Amino acid sequence: MDTAMQPDVLVIDDLQKHFGGLEIMRGVDLTIKQGERHALVGPNGAGKSTLFNLISGEHRPSGGRIYLRGQRISGLKPEQISRRGLTRSFQITNVFSRMSAFENIRIGVMARHGIRFNLYRRIKPMRAINDEAHALLQQVRLDHRADNLASDLTYSEQRALEIGMTLATGAEVILLDEPTAGMSRDETAYMVELIRQVTEGKTLMMVEHDMSVVFGLCDRISVLVYGRILATGGPEEIRSNQEVQSAYLGEEEEH
Amino acid sequence: MRYALIAILALLALLIIAPPLLGTGWQYALINALIAALFAAAFNLLVGQGGMLSFGHAAYFGVGAFTVIHLMQSVEYGDIPFPTVLLPLAGAAVSLLCGALAGFFATMRSGVYFALVTLALAELLHSLAPHWDEMFGGEAGLSSMRMPSLGFTFGSTLEVYYLTLSWVVICIGLLYAYTRTPFGRLTLALRDNEQRIRFMGFNAHGTKIVVFAISAMFSGVAGSLMAISNETANYSVFSTQVSALVVLHTFVGGSTIFFGPIVGACVLSLFTFVVSGVTHSWMLYQGIIFVLVMLFAPKGIGGVIQAHIEQRHALPWKRLAAPYALATLAGLMVACATVFVVQSLEIVLSREYAAAVARTGEYAPYTVFAREWQVFHPFTWLFPVLLLVPGLYLLRRAFARIQTLWDKDDDDDNGDIAAAPRELMEGGH
Repeated sequence: MDTAMQPDVLVIDDLQKHFGGLEIMRGVDLTIKQGERHALVGPNGAGKSTLFNLISGEHRPSGGRIYLRGQRISGLKPEQISRRGLTRSFQITNVFSRMSAFENIRIGVMARHGIRFNLYRRIKPMRAINDEAHALLQQVRLDHRADNLASDLTYSEQRALEIGMTLATGAEVILLDEPTAGMSRDETAYMVELIRQVTEGKTLMMVEHDMSVVFGLCDRISVLVYGRILATGGPEEIRSNQEVQSAYLGEEEEH
Repeated sequence: MRYALIAILALLALLIIAPPLLGTGWQYALINALIAALFAAAFNLLVGQGGMLSFGHAAYFGVGAFTVIHLMQSVEYGDIPFPTVLLPLAGAAVSLLCGALAGFFATMRSGVYFALVTLALAELLHSLAPHWDEMFGGEAGLSSMRMPSLGFTFGSTLEVYYLTLSWVVICIGLLYAYTRTPFGRLTLALRDNEQRIRFMGFNAHGTKIVVFAISAMFSGVAGSLMAISNETANYSVFSTQVSALVVLHTFVGGSTIFFGPIVGACVLSLFTFVVSGVTHSWMLYQGIIFVLVMLFAPKGIGGVIQAHIEQRHALPWKRLAAPYALATLAGLMVACATVFVVQSLEIVLSREYAAAVARTGEYAPYTVFAREWQVFHPFTWLFPVLLLVPGLYLLRRAFARIQTLWDKDDDDDNGDIAAAPRELMEGGH
């Protein structure tokens, strides 16, 4: 997709984060366009997860600003950011393990409808909520597992559930943290297809180590090295970038 | 589901019909069991559903009790007209407020720190109460009288029983309805993964405060009923024992199942009522039950019952009958041996017995199980061994058999149920 003409959805401006004396983010500037699939790559310890934590509100930035559709979100709490339309998944599978797959999704749908402190209605007859949860479950191809506990799903099913939960909140901007980590080749291919389908029309930002996934799925790629963006561009641009080659890609290929 | 409804209605009918036929002692025991059941159900909202283990829930139980005692005094002196039947509403309101306030601070932390904050808050009240005469009546506590209302005099234990039963049934019904609401589902999600609900747009702290406050509110109703029944309350309602007892009831019953804690509270309170009348060692027996349940049926009595209900169609009941009967028999043998040893030691090591020995210079025979035993006769000590060793052996055999029968008919797609037979191991005590 040509996203160059699209409006900016997420703007990160000179973002800094230090833990004590340790500088993790050393002035990150990054702009994500509406509707693009943007990969964040970089060597271990580059600060990819920290950047996600800063955007999604887990940590407060030490400096700099983050804007979501022009509104400042840096410094807000995770739930406030989520309600403004940005949701993330997690590197480690992070589901409600003792609830059914269906209920995992339904909690997300409740969030989307702003149902938070409802103690006076039964949830069973709430058609809209239940139908929507079923539809989403179908979308992530888990409808046959609806009544199974999340902890009983296979690893890749749990990852698909993760994505379903992220979608359920109705977020327009989705951050996925290594959605194919630990998966077999087949599972990875399946997951890439799934992500491609379900993020249609939404803005996606993902951390990913698997370069074939990155080059196959994403419109633009940013390379994060030691708390700074080394380069941002399309797959071809990044592949041919000398600096990136030496800092990251070459090193990856040696493994 | 329909069977569950029938079972509940049958139990309810029994609870309505039976008590007039019982003596006041049993009526009083049933009142206490009902109160314990409500307290455990309220506590389990926080622990089992919200995933927050409190060690200081006596605080909200006690606040409910003292609120009602104050209100009863005002009614008694004619200051305020307030119907006796509605007194628990006042206890509920004040406990809700206290729960919201305490919950605001306690839920800032989770796990051990949460437990310690709740413990500290309850201990604060426990140490403050004996020194605050106007509020808590000092060490003696406060007393009042139940006033007649709505045509009931509330003079008899039976009338108090029915008042308690009504409130407990309504409150447990409400607590069950809670689990069916969107917020009830959110509570479970909170237990499973607090971080995730924050990133899905929920205010986790706010959610936890509400869960805490509602749990405190229903605990307050239980405390109110206790105050109405006893017509008195003193600082000991805030004690760690009260907080610990509800933990015990909840976990023996099984905190992962809604009705578990209710079953646990009823079973243990009635057990205490019966056994404490017979022996001083009742707390030891209670402790043994707790340890056995935790070791062999970690999901509690309720968990064992639930596993059976879920598997009722898959289980080969006819083939299970024999090993179940054997397990019961063997369990009784082991229990008899244990009780014999405990009771013998209780008598022989008592101060009275030592005094008798010093006075007469003889070790007199003592009575257990309606028979006389000589302290130094070999058979006295051989008897429990003869029960215990074959008992344990048969128990192992019976449970090995039960386990194979359970495993054979398991659908292996459900890890929960596959684990059930192991939990049943030697759970028949």
